[in-house]
Amino acid sequence: VSDRHSKEPHLEEWEVFRQEKEGDAMKHGGSVMAPDAELAVHYARELYGRRQESIRLWVVRRADIHDLSDPDLLQPPLDRSFKKPGGYVMRDKLAAAREQSGASKPKGNAG
Amino acid sequence: MTGPAAELLPATRNALSLLLLAMADDEFVIGFSDSEWTGIAPMLEEDVAMSSIAQDELGHAQALYRLLAEVADDGRDADAIAYDRPPEGYYHARLLDHPRGDWATTIARRYLYDTADGIRLDALVDSSFAPLRELVAKIRREERYHLMHVSAWLERLASAGGGPRERLLDALERLAPDAATVLSPLPNDLSLVMAGIIDSSFDELDARWRAEVGRVFERLRLAMVLPVADPLTARTIHSDAFRWLHGEFTAVRREQPGATW
Repeated sequence: VSDRHSKEPHLEEWEVFRQEKEGDAMKHGGSVMAPDAELAVHYARELYGRRQESIRLWVVRRADIHDLSDPDLLQPPLDRSFKKPGGYVMRDKLAAAREQSGASKPKGNAG
Repeated sequence: MTGPAAELLPATRNALSLLLLAMADDEFVIGFSDSEWTGIAPMLEEDVAMSSIAQDELGHAQALYRLLAEVADDGRDADAIAYDRPPEGYYHARLLDHPRGDWATTIARRYLYDTADGIRLDALVDSSFAPLRELVAKIRREERYHLMHVSAWLERLASAGGGPRERLLDALERLAPDAATVLSPLPNDLSLVMAGIIDSSFDELDARWRAEVGRVFERLRLAMVLPVADPLTARTIHSDAFRWLHGEFTAVRREQPGATW
């Protein structure tokens, strides 16, 4: 406790997310270094908001983010193509089913 | 002359010109002085923040000089008013004659200035002079952030203990004799009150500022005596530090007459 002020200021990394307009998803903008949340928000504003490019910022302490990047969990080595719908040819089955039921092909981009 | 300024009595128009000149020169000098931190602030993020705040102030100065050019209507444009005066012709508060010094001095100077400037802007929110009222509405939105930023730093330096707090106390002690110069009464300021251009006399604004600053200083245990400023010298006698700064900010203009910003 006694000598904390004689040390170099303790800076942390903060991740900044920004929203460009109402309804948009928050997108990662970048990061800032700051000693605490209040200054982190000030600096986020300067770096990611001072040119009116954002309507909202979220500033999150990097240490509070739970990281998952384990390839065993995210990129399993065995063939997983059976988990993807791409392996099935649905078009002909759908056409046959529609013909049988008398329904027409739905409009729009279904399928 | 046309526009809203033409409807003012000559004495009121002169008083308004001095108010605009005081505000513009204050913003111009602190903006230019704080821009000296660009590249050398304590950390990269703060470098960007302080540079951006300094730029905001120069933007406010530019808008105020333009309005002054219309009101004064003496043939000078904003650039001529900003750059073509000798150092003695500037009308900024003597608080801003102090050099930026170390970081604690810059924060102390900016805190004393931003609080006083904030009180001054608040008093112009309902100004009867529409061009000033409209400009002040925009400037206040940016100054709100400036005050948040400098308050965050003042708090940190004051409560850090050790070296930072000592440096802050030292800076405040050096600046205190000139702190009240920003709200020192301007000549004929009562004509501005009577015309509804500003909501109160500068004596009243000074009292509001002391109350606000006093509360913060008490909380941070920064016992400070802020002497009343002499109105005759509050904005007229400038320092060697300012003469040096003046040489810097007029350098391009002198080398390249007619250069625009």
